[in-house]
Amino acid sequence: MTDPGRRYAAYTARLVDAVLTQPGHTPPEQRRAILARATGTGGEDVPPALAAYVDKVARHAYKVTDADLGRLQQAGHSDDALFETTVAAALGAALGRLERGLSALSSPPVPLSAMGPHPLTPSPSGRGGTKD
Amino acid sequence: MRLRAVEHRHRLPERLKLTLIRLVSRRRVPDVVKTLLYRPEFFGRAMCEWTHAVMRGPSAWSVGERELFAAFTSRLNQCVF
Repeated sequence: MTDPGRRYAAYTARLVDAVLTQPGHTPPEQRRAILARATGTGGEDVPPALAAYVDKVARHAYKVTDADLGRLQQAGHSDDALFETTVAAALGAALGRLERGLSALSSPPVPLSAMGPHPLTPSPSGRGGTKD
Repeated sequence: MRLRAVEHRHRLPERLKLTLIRLVSRRRVPDVVKTLLYRPEFFGRAMCEWTHAVMRGPSAWSVGERELFAAFTSRLNQCVF
């Protein structure tokens, strides 16, 4: 069977390359830092004004509100800059999850007794969610 | 859509595609499509190629099963799709 981590590697590389190197309204090094922060592999050099937004997109995008973007727009970030920031953060979060999923597949199974509550157990609010 | 540019400021070829989609489907174009067609060289084109390979390319899983995985994941992410 094809290694699931490699089958789509070329597609993933092209996607990352486009987001990090295409000319845009944010410096490529800033996009790289945002992607790393959202992946969970660094990105301490993301501008503080953007860091909270990047974290929100990466951890629980459904909590993003008009007010979050309104604040950033008022602070002078253009729609294009925010589009690039959002894409880099979402892509970073996705890559981090993909990486963790693939490494879980390749590591020995954890016994059920060692697991916490089942992730699909409904939350008290009745909503699903990956939470953090 | 929270970013007006991604809602309204597509370039001409993408704007024509959006108009065509709207006319044929007779529905509002989903935000995800507007996002994919906004500056496609930055994100949408590579993302569509990736999605097509994963969701429609050769796989041990059927297309229906893969769509179910995607819908289920979106549900867990509380993302309407």
